[in-house]
Parts: sequence; C-alpha cells; structure tokens
Amino acid sequence: MATADPRLRSRAQQQQPAPVAPPPPPPPPAETTPAMGLDGSGDAPESSGTSSDDSFKLKFCTVCASNQNRSMEAHLQLATAQLPTISFGTGSLVRLPGPTINQPNVYNFNSTTYEAIHKELADQNTQLYTQNGLLNMIGRNLNIKKYPERFQDWMPGKPRLDHKGDQGYHGTESGVVDVIFTCEERCFDAVLEDLHNKGGRMNRPVHVLNVDIKDNHEEARVGGQAILDLALSLNNAASEERKARGETGWDRGSGGARQGFDEKVPEIVAAWQERWPTLPALWSLAWF
Amino acid sequence: MQSLEQLKKARELAWTDGRYYISIIPAVLPIVGPNANASVESCRWGSDFLEEAFASPIWPPDEKETCALGVLPTLKDYLSAVDDPITVKSTIQVAASIYPLVYRYIISHPNDEEHWQHMTAIKEDILRRMDTAPPGVRICCVKFVQQVVLVQTPGMIADPRRPEQNDISLALVPRDHRLLPYAQLEAQAHGLLDRLLDIIHGDHSDALLITATLNCLGMLIQRRPLIANRILSGLFSFNPSKLANSPLTPASRLALKSIERTTRALLVNVTRRANDPNLAGRINHYLERMSRPRTDVQDENSKKRPAPGELTDGLDPAKRQRLGATASNGSPAIPPLPAGPVSYRDLFLLTSDPVASVDVSSLQMEPERMLDILTRLLTSVDRARFETALNAVRGRYLTLSKTAPLAANTVVAVDDEDEYEPDFEPEDAEQLVNRLDNAPPDNLLQERIPSAPLAPYKLPDAPPLTDQEVLKYGEMTIQRIFGMLNASEEYSMKAKAAKGGFNRLAASSYDRDSWVTILSRLATRATAGLDDPDEGIKSEQGSFARKGSFAISDLIREYLHRYIMYDWRKRIDAAVSWLNEEWLSDKVQSMSLGMNGNGSVNGHATAASPLKGNYFRCALKLLDSILPFVEGTDKVMLRFMSEIPELNRELLRRLVKMAEDPERVGLSIMVLKYLYMVKPPARELCVELLAEMWRTNDRARGPAAKELAKWKPEVLQEENEVQMETTNGAAEVTTS
Repeated sequence: MATADPRLRSRAQQQQPAPVAPPPPPPPPAETTPAMGLDGSGDAPESSGTSSDDSFKLKFCTVCASNQNRSMEAHLQLATAQLPTISFGTGSLVRLPGPTINQPNVYNFNSTTYEAIHKELADQNTQLYTQNGLLNMIGRNLNIKKYPERFQDWMPGKPRLDHKGDQGYHGTESGVVDVIFTCEERCFDAVLEDLHNKGGRMNRPVHVLNVDIKDNHEEARVGGQAILDLALSLNNAASEERKARGETGWDRGSGGARQGFDEKVPEIVAAWQERWPTLPALWSLAWF
Repeated sequence: MQSLEQLKKARELAWTDGRYYISIIPAVLPIVGPNANASVESCRWGSDFLEEAFASPIWPPDEKETCALGVLPTLKDYLSAVDDPITVKSTIQVAASIYPLVYRYIISHPNDEEHWQHMTAIKEDILRRMDTAPPGVRICCVKFVQQVVLVQTPGMIADPRRPEQNDISLALVPRDHRLLPYAQLEAQAHGLLDRLLDIIHGDHSDALLITATLNCLGMLIQRRPLIANRILSGLFSFNPSKLANSPLTPASRLALKSIERTTRALLVNVTRRANDPNLAGRINHYLERMSRPRTDVQDENSKKRPAPGELTDGLDPAKRQRLGATASNGSPAIPPLPAGPVSYRDLFLLTSDPVASVDVSSLQMEPERMLDILTRLLTSVDRARFETALNAVRGRYLTLSKTAPLAANTVVAVDDEDEYEPDFEPEDAEQLVNRLDNAPPDNLLQERIPSAPLAPYKLPDAPPLTDQEVLKYGEMTIQRIFGMLNASEEYSMKAKAAKGGFNRLAASSYDRDSWVTILSRLATRATAGLDDPDEGIKSEQGSFARKGSFAISDLIREYLHRYIMYDWRKRIDAAVSWLNEEWLSDKVQSMSLGMNGNGSVNGHATAASPLKGNYFRCALKLLDSILPFVEGTDKVMLRFMSEIPELNRELLRRLVKMAEDPERVGLSIMVLKYLYMVKPPARELCVELLAEMWRTNDRARGPAAKELAKWKPEVLQEENEVQMETTNGAAEVTTS
C-alpha cells in the first residue's frame, strides 16, 4: 500500500518499524505532549479546560475494539476534564499483541481485570511488553477502571453503582449516556447494529459519533484530544440550551440560542471536522 | 433547592432497587408537578426522573403499568402547561414508554374510560407537535409515533395462555373492545407509519430527523413482519444522495455520509436477522446502488486520510518530497521542429541548450574514444528521461513521415498554388497510403531507413504431413482426450450436481459428460457433409483407408465404442448421448441434402436401406458388442433400448436373438413390452417381433402369448387356427 503511493514512500521508510500487530501497544502517556502531530494537528485548539463542576453535563461513552487503547485514552481525557464517562469495546474478545503476530494475547471481556492482564503479561515477558508499551498502557488503564467491558453486553439503563471507583464515574450512575464516541467505522457499525438488536426499548435518544483513529499510541493520544474537544463543544451547546431556556422561557431566546442541542449536533460535528480534518467523522441519532 | 436535594436522594435510592419507584413516584409527583409554583428546573427534573423510571430495565413492566396510570395527568400538564422543550422532550419519551403499558391496561379494563382519555389527549398533543416542534422535540415525537405503530399493528402471539408474556400489539385487542376500535387503531397505525416514511423521503437536509427515524424503523421491521415489507419498500425508494445535488458544504457532506451509513447499518441488520436470501439480494442491490453515487460525490473525503500537506523547503531539491510526477524537472519542454526541410540533427535535437551546437566531428577524436564516452554516457542516462526523449523523437518522426510526402506533393503542384485550400481534403486515407507507397524516397530520412539491419526471423515451414501422419497424430490426440476422460471419471461421479435442464450448456464444465459431448460432436459433426452422401458407409467397420479427415471421425467412433464397452453398464449414458448425436447429425445432414429421411420415422424404419448414415451402423455395432455381456437381470438394457433415438427391425431383431438364451427370454420380452408402452412409433415392430418370438421360440411362447393376447390377439387366434388345421384340432390352446 504505502509503496504504491509515491507520495508516501519516503514516509514509509522513515517510520519503518511501524507496528503491524493488530491492537495497540502504545507507550504510557508521557507527560510532555508531542510538539506536533504527524499530520499537523498540533495547532488544533488546545482542548483546554474542564467543564465546571456543578453545571449540567452530558454523559459520554467511548468505544473502540478492545477497550484498551483508544477508548481508554479518550476515557481518561474526558474523565480528567470532569465529564461523566464510561467506555466499552465492541470486539468479541480483548485482543492484545503477543510475542508474534500470530499469537495475540486474548482475554474475556467483563471478567478479566486490567490488573490480571497486567500481571500475566509481566510474567510472560516483561521486557517485550515494556518495550512495546503494552504494560504501560494497561498500567494506565487499571487506574481508570477495573476491567474492559463489552458494548454488546452492556444493559443501558441499569444503574452502574458497582463502578464507583472508575474515573468519570460521577454522573454515570444511572447507566445511560447522551453521546457515544466510537473510534473507528467498524465500531460505529457495531454500535448501531447492537442498538438495533437491543430494540430501542428505553425510547431514549443517543448521539453516536465516530472519530476515525488509527490504533496506535500516538494517534490515540491525538484522537483523545480531538474527542475531548468535540465533547466540550457538545457539552457547551447542551448547557447553553438549558440556560437559554431557563427561567426566561425558550421562545424568548434568539438566533443560535433558539436552537436546541440535538439539532446543533450536526453543525458542531461539521465545525469540529474542519478543526480536525485528519480524523474523519460520522454521526447518527440512535435509540437506547 | 432544598427539595431538589431531597429528590436527588430519592433518585439515588431508586437506583439501588427498581421496586422503590412504585413508592417514590407518587411521593414525588406533587413536588415536581407543573401545577403549583414549580420552577422550570423542577419540571425538568420531574420529567427526567419519570423518563428514567419508565425506561429502567430493572423495574418490572407490570409494576410500571399500575404506576403509569397515576402519572398520566402530570404528563398531560407538562405538555400543556410547561413551555420548556427539555421538559417536553422528556415527557414525550415517558409517553413513548408508557403508551404500550396503558394500552395493555385498557385492553383488560375496557371500562376505564378516564385513563384512556388522558392517554388519548397526550397522544393527540404529541401528534400535533410532530410537524412543527423544534427538531430535538420532533425526534422524540418520531419515537413516540413508532411506539404507537408498534402496539397498534398486529404482532405475534407467543403464548396465548400467558398474556403478560406477549408482545403488546393489536393482536391482543378483542374485536368488540369498547374503547379500542380495532379497525380504527389499525388504520391510524398505517397512517402514522406513512408519516414516518414521509420523513425519510422528505427534506434530506435534516439528517438528525432522518437518522432518528431510520434508527427506530429497525425495531418495527424486526417485530412486525406484517408491515416490514412496506417499510422496506419505502426504504428502497429512499435515495440519500439526492442531497448531493445541492452545493455540498462540509456539513451537508458529513450529513449525507452519516445518513447513508445509518441506512446501511439498518439494512445490514435486517439482512442478518431475516434469513431470506431474496430479501438479502434486494438489500445488497440497494446498498450497491447507494454506494455508487457516493464515491463520485465524496471524492477526497471518502478516503480515510489524505497524505498530510507537504511542508517543503522549496529551495532545496533534496528535501522535496518526491511526488511521482517528475515531469516538471524531468523533461524540459521539447521545442517544436523548425519549419521547412528537416535534417537529422534537427530531428534529434531536443534541447535549445547552446552546448548542443558543438560539432563533435570537429574535435578530431578517435572513434574508439568517442565510443567509450558514448557508452559511459548512455549507462548514466536517467531511464525515464531517455524514454521521454525517445518518444519525442518518435513522435516527431511520425508526424514528419506523414507530412513529408504531402509537402513534396505541394511542391510539385506549385503551379496550382492559387487553388490550394488547406481545409480541402480530396484524398481519403486509402489513397493517401497508396500515394505514400508510390512516393519516391524523396528525402534523406527515408533513404536511410531500409538500412535497418534486422529482418524478422522466420522459422522454415514444416513439411506438410502425410495422410498417415495426420491419422497418426489425430489418433494420438484422441487417445489423450480419452485418457483425460478416464481420469476425470472418478470425481465427476462424485460431484454429480443437478443439471440445468435446457439451460445447461453442453461441454461447459470440463467433466466427463462434457468431454463425451465434445468427442461425440467431433465424431459426428466435424466432417459431416464432407463425404459423399450417396456412397454412404457400406462396410460396418468403416474404412480407415479412406481419406484421412473422414477416418478421424471413425477413429473417434471407434474409441468411443471402446470407451463405452470398457464399462458399459456405467457408461450407458455416454452411449446414449453419443448415439443421439449420431442420429441428430444424420438427420441434419439428410435434411440439408433435401433427402427427407425416407419414411424412417422413429422406430418405423421399414425403408429398404436402413444403414444409411452412421447412426444405425454405430447403434447396431454397439448393441452387438453389448449383447454377449447382458444378463437376464440387466435393467440397463431397458434403458439403453428406450433411450436411443430411433429403432429399426435390425436392432430389435437382436432381442429375438437374445431370447434364444433361456435366461434372457424374460429380459427380451420385458424390453419389447416396455418399448411397446413408451415408444408408440415402434409398436407395430414390437408386436411383429414378439409374434415371431412366439412362433419360433418355445421358451418365449408363454410370456409372449400373454402380451400378444393384450396387443394383438388375432395373431394368437390365427396361429391357433393354423395349428388346429394342421394338427386337426389336437393342439392345446395356449391363450391363457
């Protein structure tokens, strides 16, 4: 592929030892942010700020394939910004790179804790998994929540009181979310498919947004920032809606304020897409 | 605010166990109800709380049902008295959740008019809003409408004994229900479904509404098979790319992509659930059609990620990314040829660089050194540049070779100068070529061309094959094909798939059957009509001494014959198809010769020369070969005799002969009987031969008489009479 495109040839050579293994082995989140993303996304608006503590907050959910790299990176960034967040994977199993490409490490969702995975990999080959960043990633994850969860096994609306220790827990107790972020089109399709299967019995709308992120550490970090940026924009719009229509009544607002949150979502995503042109987006309004 | 804190506590309590809702809700309603001095804040909280409660999967539906009746007035007030879209949204969501519950309650309580009136009022309020409310509210209305359609169309009754387990649907409503008129509900559901489908056919710019609708249609398709088809045909006429006609902004492009992706997800889900290949085919077709315009429209955005923009130092060629298109620096513009006569130098000179004007011959160098320099130069030349240069020269030469003769012509016709019209083309291409051929080598270019050293090398022609050789190689070829036939035997037997009937293409599958078809057609058709039809083939063995090409046919026949005889019971189908080919070929030939098959209708060959053509010859030969091996129980004989296309007396007489073997009498008679039954044209012949058998063969007498009694009793009769006459009535009558 890369060699077929002459424009990419030089790049392919530069980056040569590119990870070919299926899921992500990113090194731990270094404290220094990369000076500039490969794709020039460094000059995107710094996703600074967190949402203030007592104001209204949308509830978020991040989804990737194994609930290890991209969804967890985004989970961490959203939770750090004080946004209620939960996260899932859509794969049938948690898959992590193994000693060779043909021997991935495979775990069950919902039952294997990050801690157990960490221990097993450390016992298996500490040096290898430290070097490819797997141990650091899982080390980060076990500070975020207990175990990887599978989206298809999630029962929306079931209170999540047993997840008290998770980061971003506050606000997600009721077990529903307003926005689902998926990290690749396959997951987006899987989420829509699963919501069809669940049959929309709660009659509750949910915005499903896809942000296409490559499965490696660097891209996951950039993608996490992008998701946070989008989440904050959405959250602003939603709290504006509530404010604008507070005591004054909604019909007294004007212009943009007149618009509700839901109808603003497409515009917000489109505006966000212009800020992050390298992360193709998709969205859909689905039902729990 | 104090109360909000308390409410929060109540909510947290309910999370621990859904059963608390039943006590919490009645207690909370007075506080959050829209009546008294409730703030917008508390209304929002209340509607939110109710929405959460009635959507909760941890609260059993039958408890929800009793509780639902109590919240109806509050919901109604929320809708009518509170002017806050957030409250309204949540309220509509609650209504969507409780409509089925209230509906089921009313089914079993046909006299509870009050509650049903509340519900109807709420429903009407929501339906009124559906077209005018802000989009955020409208999507909730859509969901509510979907719930109404769901319960007001008949569904499946899983278990009639346990109504509480059943899907709430129109099927539960008795026909004579006081409050729920069946027909009316159904009609309303259909009307509302149309409204839902109208949304996706309407304004496509409102992607929010469309994706919301698409995403709730899935469950209707899944749970209401009766209306699934209608929804699907609605979907199939939905064309998301209509939006693409308007100028595409990034936002509308994103919306388009999202709508399409949502449609795709819905349809893929439908395909996975319904195991209907027909439906799957339609859906695939639709998805394919849908993806086509998208690839046109979405150009760069349909690709996942374009190469990042180039950050280059324009001054340093070493730092430039190579962009494939090396044209800019690779090949300098090629100057056009100067007008007028062109020299070789002009032809090959591609640069205007003054260096090129140096005359090398003036340098007085030895040719060896020159050659040395040149080879070194040539090896270091950039291949791509060299090719372009070569092409340029080639192009120049081509244009030159076309224009040169014309130019010469105009020079000759200098007198007609004033008649010269550049646009007028008196000659067509052919004349031009002729002229070119005749034109004298009028410039120095063409003089040198013939000196190109390499003439195409031609292999000497092989000496012509003799007839014997042709025959020999032909035979080898045939042997090889038969070798292939034997090899393909085994697995073709296993993989005997159903044949396509008339749609089957002969010889298209490279299995045994195909090869047999090919061979028999080669034998029968390849040389058909080449031999002298009058001569026919007199000798039964055919004559290899005749001209080679015809002998090939007979060779193939011979091999086919051998092939069949090698395992005739299994290969009887090959025999039948071969003989059919023979027969057809004979027919076609005789027709083309205008000889109307002299009365030899199927099985009716009473003509004097039955051996005309190849069919009877081959069939007879095959039958003769088979007969010694036939056993009394070989039903395959029946098959063979009935499937070959035409019968004559010669062929059938072999059966009479076979009947001389006491073990095979039964088979003979069985074959005759069968032919009598299934081949009407052969009837007369069969009767005749059976009578013959009856007369001449003592062992066949009994069974033959049995059949004759049915077919032609007069034979027996007359025979009896003869016998009676001759033996003076002493013979036994064997008519039983």
